[in-house]
Amino acid sequence: MITLTHFLVVSACIFCIGLYAVLAKRNAIMILVGIELMINAAILNFVAFGKYDKLNYGGQVFALFAIVLAAAAVAVGLALILNVYRHFKTINPEHIHELKD
Amino acid sequence: MIESFLFYAFAGVAILSALLLVHIRNTARALFLLFVVLFAMAGLYLFALADFIAITQILIYVGGVLILLIFAFMLSNKELLADLQSTSGRFISLPNWQALVLVIAFLSLMVYSYLSWSQQMPQWIAQSEAKGKMILPTDNNIKVLGFKFMTQYVLPFEIISVFLMMTLIGAAHLSRKESNK
Amino acid sequence: MLLPLLAFVLQAALGKKSISGNIALTAIIASTIISLFGVFLPIWNETTLLQKWTWFTIGEHSLHIGILLNNLTALMQLIVCIIALPVHIYSRSYMKGDPGIHRYWMYLSLFCFAMLGLTVSLNLLQLYIFWELVGFASYLLIGFWFTKESAVQANKKAFLINRIGDIGFLVGIGLVYANCGTLDLSVLFNPAEALLPSDKNTGWLTFAGLAFFLGAMAKSAQFPLHVWLADAMEGPTSVSSLIHAATMVAAGVFLLCTVFPLFNSTVLLVITLIGTLTALSAAVFALGQYDIKKVLAFSTVSQLGFMMVGVGIGAWDAAMFHLATHAFFKCLLFLCAGAVIHELAHFKAKTQLDIDPQDMRNMGGLRQIMPKTFICMVIASLSLAGFPLTSGYLSKDSIVISAYEWASQLGGVYLLIPILLIVVSLFTAFYIGRLIFKTFFGSFKYHTVFEAGTPFHEAPKAMLIPMFFLAAGSLFPLFGTSLTDYHSAWIIHALETTTTYPALASAHIFIPVILTGGAVLAWFIGWQWYVKEKYPLSANNPLVRFAYKQGYLDEFNDRVFVKGTVGLSRHLYAFDRRVVDGMTTFFAWFVRQLAVVVYWIDKYIVDGLVNLVAGTTYYIGHLVRHVQNGQLQNYLGFALTIVVLGILYLLIK
Repeated sequence: MITLTHFLVVSACIFCIGLYAVLAKRNAIMILVGIELMINAAILNFVAFGKYDKLNYGGQVFALFAIVLAAAAVAVGLALILNVYRHFKTINPEHIHELKD
Repeated sequence: MIESFLFYAFAGVAILSALLLVHIRNTARALFLLFVVLFAMAGLYLFALADFIAITQILIYVGGVLILLIFAFMLSNKELLADLQSTSGRFISLPNWQALVLVIAFLSLMVYSYLSWSQQMPQWIAQSEAKGKMILPTDNNIKVLGFKFMTQYVLPFEIISVFLMMTLIGAAHLSRKESNK
Repeated sequence: MLLPLLAFVLQAALGKKSISGNIALTAIIASTIISLFGVFLPIWNETTLLQKWTWFTIGEHSLHIGILLNNLTALMQLIVCIIALPVHIYSRSYMKGDPGIHRYWMYLSLFCFAMLGLTVSLNLLQLYIFWELVGFASYLLIGFWFTKESAVQANKKAFLINRIGDIGFLVGIGLVYANCGTLDLSVLFNPAEALLPSDKNTGWLTFAGLAFFLGAMAKSAQFPLHVWLADAMEGPTSVSSLIHAATMVAAGVFLLCTVFPLFNSTVLLVITLIGTLTALSAAVFALGQYDIKKVLAFSTVSQLGFMMVGVGIGAWDAAMFHLATHAFFKCLLFLCAGAVIHELAHFKAKTQLDIDPQDMRNMGGLRQIMPKTFICMVIASLSLAGFPLTSGYLSKDSIVISAYEWASQLGGVYLLIPILLIVVSLFTAFYIGRLIFKTFFGSFKYHTVFEAGTPFHEAPKAMLIPMFFLAAGSLFPLFGTSLTDYHSAWIIHALETTTTYPALASAHIFIPVILTGGAVLAWFIGWQWYVKEKYPLSANNPLVRFAYKQGYLDEFNDRVFVKGTVGLSRHLYAFDRRVVDGMTTFFAWFVRQLAVVVYWIDKYIVDGLVNLVAGTTYYIGHLVRHVQNGQLQNYLGFALTIVVLGILYLLIK
């Protein structure tokens, strides 16, 4: 029997791996990938909890919203990364520490 | 029994691929590993009886986001490629251990709290379990979701569609070649 | 005056390209014309002209630089220009083909600038600056052939000895400034200002006078600081003629004339004694030299001694007069010697004979080969010896007669000084006669080689013309119309000084007679000795050796001063090491121990408090600083840490 806790632990693992990628990676694209992993972990939580909400279907609906938002985030994020690269000639976030032009 | 085995298999594939993903050097390979992770995640959604979400996950993520990432990665200029591939030379570079410690602490905290709370689920879950108001494998999720989007969630749906268009325009604006400069 | 500077800068900029010397020549011609028509003629016997600009101000004292033009400075400037001009022309042909010719013209222009600046300086400090520049240019020119070891040694020697004099000059300047509060010559010696004490026998004035004299002694090569001048002959001959015969060495005399009102009787007596001693010793040394240039160098020293005597007895007008005439005939002597050396060097190069072109023993019989040079040389020599009809006759007699008048007034042992001067004059006649006889009479040592057809001829025209010009200047008409009475010479007229002693009419007759007769006698002896080769003394005669070795003065200097200084410094060093350093070390140790205690208190108590506050602040700041480093990932990690801590808190609570 697969309980809610199973889903939660798995999503926690995926979330932390994504978090690690965001914190430790020296590459903006990998950071974006980490964010995707974290969003996926969140979606997993949504659908896991949504299983118990037949009345509103809130979990699944917001999981869909989250997927759309993630897609939008990736699109904008990639555009930003390209722009940042054009400006700083690097996508290592360690070297990008200026807000000014 | 076979259900549990499949669940653990999908979960194992997802977690192991994700682990491999974060410490692989080659960004292109990492992106393909992300492909695997997303598939495994989609499989996990099925266990939560969210078949439409799983399909959408594969359609949007695998078909859209991942393709976008790989395209962006491959279509970008050579310097960017070299820059991407030469990064993170060591398995654990110096600032990474801090992140690792932090992440493990966070994970252990979450897992600990989940396990300690597993005996006392929120009340609405217990109620719906007791009343049998759960999504069942026999339900037609797609039909219900369609109704829900057009009735109960029509406002968020519209907002999200507008938002999606804004982001697409914004992304296109941001990533254009600045030839007018 | 500024024109040679311009030429110097221009040539320094052009570097190797400016080899013809046209720039230097143009500059000096222009300077000569300006100083003759623009400066000398308007100033001479007219009012003193001075132009001053404020240079800098220390406290309430401001120093002026400027130009002071009176009879003395105008005369000196004209002499410098007029002597420098023929030397420039002469150098064109003398220095032709030298690889360092561009440097030569550069230095020569620098020297002319410095010398002209020196003559017109208003301020003693300004004078000192130009004085140093003159010394520096001379240093460069002596060491012009710097690949020659002896030239390097010579210019080092000249430099060091000039330093001694410069210290004296500087001390003098300091004393004058400390006591009078001004260095402005026009103010200092203005009777209306009454800056100088009426009683001249005060201690500082004597000391300042001696200090100035020390400066002049080194520059004008007075005994015992004359040793550098003979070695300075390592430079090109044209340079020797300009610097070490005519102008620079005269700067010391000029300085003494400038600050003459400063001297009291003690200083003047010292000057007279030193001058006499110099004149005598240098004349004796000149007798034994074989190097033609060294003979002339010692003769210069001897004549400078005469000028010093002139200053010392108060007849500085006579000294200036002698300076002017001496500049002409000594320059001419050097140029003639240069011509001979030049031709002999060419001869040597062509025949590959291993001879020293400056050694008189290698010359002889050149009268037939170089008649024009010979004539010039004879005129200059006659002038040097004080023969009638020459300028030297007037100026030299003026000094000797003044000395006699001065001595006869004082009487006693002072009479020794004019007698010594007369003896020196006879020596002068003898050694210059010896030079002439050895060089131009007799038979040429390498006559056989010459007969064999190797060209050996008269000096080129560019060298002869300046020589003729100077030869004309060495005759009497340029300085006065009277043949015998030096009082009618215009320089004496213009610089008229009041002497305290009466003129003796008899001296005006018998001293010239003695001098001339003695000179003729000396020449006769010289003729007998050198031309007829009846030389009575062998080369190893102790007297001759004494003279040749310059009285062993160099050796004496080497032994006593150099070794003595080295030994003294060694002893002082040991003393310094043992006693002074010991004391210093003890004090240092004591102070260090004290400092350690104070340091401890300071560090742990005073600093401790401050450091505690600062350290705490710094530590907090340091902690927080890491957060604000602009790294997004660090921000995120920090936020996450807080979240983890918060959850932990919630869990534990």
